[in-house]
Amino acid sequence: MAIGLAVTAAFVVIVGQLWYLQVLEGGRFLDASDRNRIRIRPIAAPRGILFDRHGVPLVDNRPAFTLSLIPRELPRDPASRDAVLGRVAALLRIPYQELQDAVARVQADSFPPVRVRRGLTLEDVAKVEEWRLELPGVIAEVEPKRVYPTSRFAAHLLGYVREANEDQLRQGRYRRGEMVGQSGLERLLDEHLRGQDGGERIEVDAMGRPVRLIQQSEPHSGAQVVTTVDGRIQEAAERAMAGHAGAVVVMDPRNGDLLAMVSTPAFEIDRFTGTIDRSAWLRLVQDPHFPLLNRAVQSQYAPASIFKILVAAAALQEGSLTPADRTQCAGEFHLGTATFKDWKEGGHGTVDLQRAIVQSCNIFFYQAGLKVGGVTLVRYARAFGFGAPTGIELQGEKYGLMPRPDRRGWPAGETVNLSIGQGAVLVTPTQVARFMATVANGGVLWRPRLVQRIERSDGGLVYSDAGQVNGHVELSPVVWEFLRRSLWAAVNDGTGAAARIPGLDIAGKTGTAQIIGKSKATLGQDHAWFAAFAPVKNPEVVVVVLVEHGGRGGEVAAPIARKILNAIFFERVAAIEVRG
Amino acid sequence: MLRVDRRLLQNVDWALFATACALVVVSVMTLATLSVGRAGAAVALRQAAWFVVGLLALVVVACLDYRRLVRAAPALYLLGLAGLTLVYMLGRSVSGARRWIVLGPISVQPSELFKVFFVLMAVWVITSRWAQPVGRTTLVMTLPIAAVPFALIIKQPDLGTALLLFPVLMILLVGAGLGLRLLGGAVAAGLAALPLAWLVLRDYQRERILVFLDPFRDPLGSAYNVIQAKIAIGSGQLLGKGVVGATQSRLAFLPERHTDFVFAVFAETWGFVGCLALLMCYLLLLLRGFDIALGVTSLLAVQVVINLGMVTGLLPIVGIPLPLMSYGGSSMLASLVAIGLLLSVRMRQFQ
Repeated sequence: MAIGLAVTAAFVVIVGQLWYLQVLEGGRFLDASDRNRIRIRPIAAPRGILFDRHGVPLVDNRPAFTLSLIPRELPRDPASRDAVLGRVAALLRIPYQELQDAVARVQADSFPPVRVRRGLTLEDVAKVEEWRLELPGVIAEVEPKRVYPTSRFAAHLLGYVREANEDQLRQGRYRRGEMVGQSGLERLLDEHLRGQDGGERIEVDAMGRPVRLIQQSEPHSGAQVVTTVDGRIQEAAERAMAGHAGAVVVMDPRNGDLLAMVSTPAFEIDRFTGTIDRSAWLRLVQDPHFPLLNRAVQSQYAPASIFKILVAAAALQEGSLTPADRTQCAGEFHLGTATFKDWKEGGHGTVDLQRAIVQSCNIFFYQAGLKVGGVTLVRYARAFGFGAPTGIELQGEKYGLMPRPDRRGWPAGETVNLSIGQGAVLVTPTQVARFMATVANGGVLWRPRLVQRIERSDGGLVYSDAGQVNGHVELSPVVWEFLRRSLWAAVNDGTGAAARIPGLDIAGKTGTAQIIGKSKATLGQDHAWFAAFAPVKNPEVVVVVLVEHGGRGGEVAAPIARKILNAIFFERVAAIEVRG
Repeated sequence: MLRVDRRLLQNVDWALFATACALVVVSVMTLATLSVGRAGAAVALRQAAWFVVGLLALVVVACLDYRRLVRAAPALYLLGLAGLTLVYMLGRSVSGARRWIVLGPISVQPSELFKVFFVLMAVWVITSRWAQPVGRTTLVMTLPIAAVPFALIIKQPDLGTALLLFPVLMILLVGAGLGLRLLGGAVAAGLAALPLAWLVLRDYQRERILVFLDPFRDPLGSAYNVIQAKIAIGSGQLLGKGVVGATQSRLAFLPERHTDFVFAVFAETWGFVGCLALLMCYLLLLLRGFDIALGVTSLLAVQVVINLGMVTGLLPIVGIPLPLMSYGGSSMLASLVAIGLLLSVRMRQFQ
């Protein structure tokens, strides 16, 4: 039939064309397909910058060089590929095995560069360029890298950035070699900070030299984050804590803004960014002082005498005590067969409530606590946010510990211990800061705020946080006033005298947390607390200092708080500058 | 249940059926090689799934008496037109073309199935008593059944599928006895209308035709497909590069490599020898088909010839899939239904 012939004829023509393309011209096209190399070069988006509340960068970026391998452009046969890797290893003093492993993890013909070593020196880059013809598939890429003002500055707050680890890769949200925020704000805000990588499609010749740009997409840098941190205060707090292990939290009682958060010992944040060798990592993880731990939110301590503020508040509000009630303190208190001692040998003599706060008299508060009752004390403690998360944005916040006594099964001895913040009660420094802020502002429980707003690089607002009130503590104004006055007196005429600064009205309370189960190394070394706010009228800042195994709060923590308060109110240091 | 006559079973054209199945298997294998070392073999699996669905449709169609299907042609044709209209109204856009209707996890391309309905409709009209004897009246009666869907499909825009309708119709008319003089007249009129068609074409469609006339007009733009396809096919040489060596296809230099350009992938992998074997299969299928039924076979034949022609650089790129090979559920379904029709006709030819 005609149609069958027509189709057959068409097929003959097609076969003729195939013969022409594949057999006659096949060699030429094979050449063309071999030369058909397109290199896809990702252009890493600069990570968003974290600013302090005054717009000073807390962390910045700087271009850095990264050694990358492009599997598809490495020689195909194993022998010459290994020769190239060997040359790289010798040239840049990188362990040969590391290069082998990096290549083995990905498909042999994949385009995306495998990042082998970050932070190349200019010398290294020059070597790579010089040897380029002998190193097919080896390139030095430019990638933005995090830079920090100083090695340990705000390390726990900011957090470190590292390549996605195996776990994160398994979740499938990250590509291999991608930089991911691993702790602190870098982790919390990673999806905002990371931005969107751009890329170029470049045609390259057999030598890997770019022939022409085919396509380009611009990287979009990550969002800018304005934190509540005040870099100057953070720096002052870190300086004041030098040589001590512990934590400092500085908070604005008017809105819950965290102005500074220090945890010591800190880790060297810049050493964590990029490549860290295994032994250095193990040293950090196994360090007995746990430098990776953010003590301000992740460590729990007995609140000790700071808790007396709460006992006083409960006692006055509940009518268990009046400011005029007095107690004779002889240094000892007997409950059944048990004897509870005051910290001061021989006692404080006759004390009223204010005096008891100023002198931090244990005996007075043992009795006050018993009058109020354990159940009521715990109710007040919970109202002030103890035993529950503060809602701070940082991950891994500890809740503290607050018992749930019922009326029958709660031994009076426990109440006695609780009255001076010992026993079955644990708090984090951030919880204490919020507690002090609530006392300072007259009952408003602010959620601690670290992030004010996040802005896209084009100016669009991604997120903003106007502050959030988590609750109120309703006490009579007279009680608030009494607490503030007593705390002022504690600094000006009592245990907190070491925090006094002429010309500034400071209210504060010391605390000395006794360590149970003392090891030899820390024998006799109690945790030292000092919690303060200032100025007493219209408080602007709360400063909480905790020194682990520091000794007495008034002797160790109060002077540190004094340094910080002095810096806040009297030192006008030029804003910190990011080293670049 | 469908009652199956034993005589019908004896007359099943197993060679035709086997050839079609073999082509689909080659398709699934080719698609699977594209995913070697890449993320998942999803495309090949979906193609295989559609093959199963298509096989069911094939069996159903083969069991039905094709005469009943021809009688139902007007209804099916209207249904097809309704589908095309629906696409026009609420279709999903993929790279600038509205060709699909999304139904949950699958998207359907009504124009593919419509092609089969169109052939049935054309057969119904031509064999109806009003159209006898075949002559000028028949031509005038049949042209609108191609023109209406042509307008709808070209709006999607899908130039290839739209243009496909006319040659199929012409082949049917000639087969029914249309005089060559009349045919010549119709073709001349069609050619005269071409400048008009130029006005309807989208910019990219015009560009493709210009590129066909001069491939180096814009080597990284419109001509990119043609050049890369030629490189892919040519570099396969006599024996092919094998699955791993077929870098043109696997490394995505070749656009549309799952769909319209799947033949180029096959050609790069298996070379001239492989191509020859594949073309023999198609030729066998088509020649056997022409022995059974002209309309449905010409539908397949025109698509095969145009697709191979455009992929090898003999024809401009108009976006027609290669039946049974190109990735695409609707195309696969339509092709297997067409084969089912051929089987149905064959089974009942000796009754």
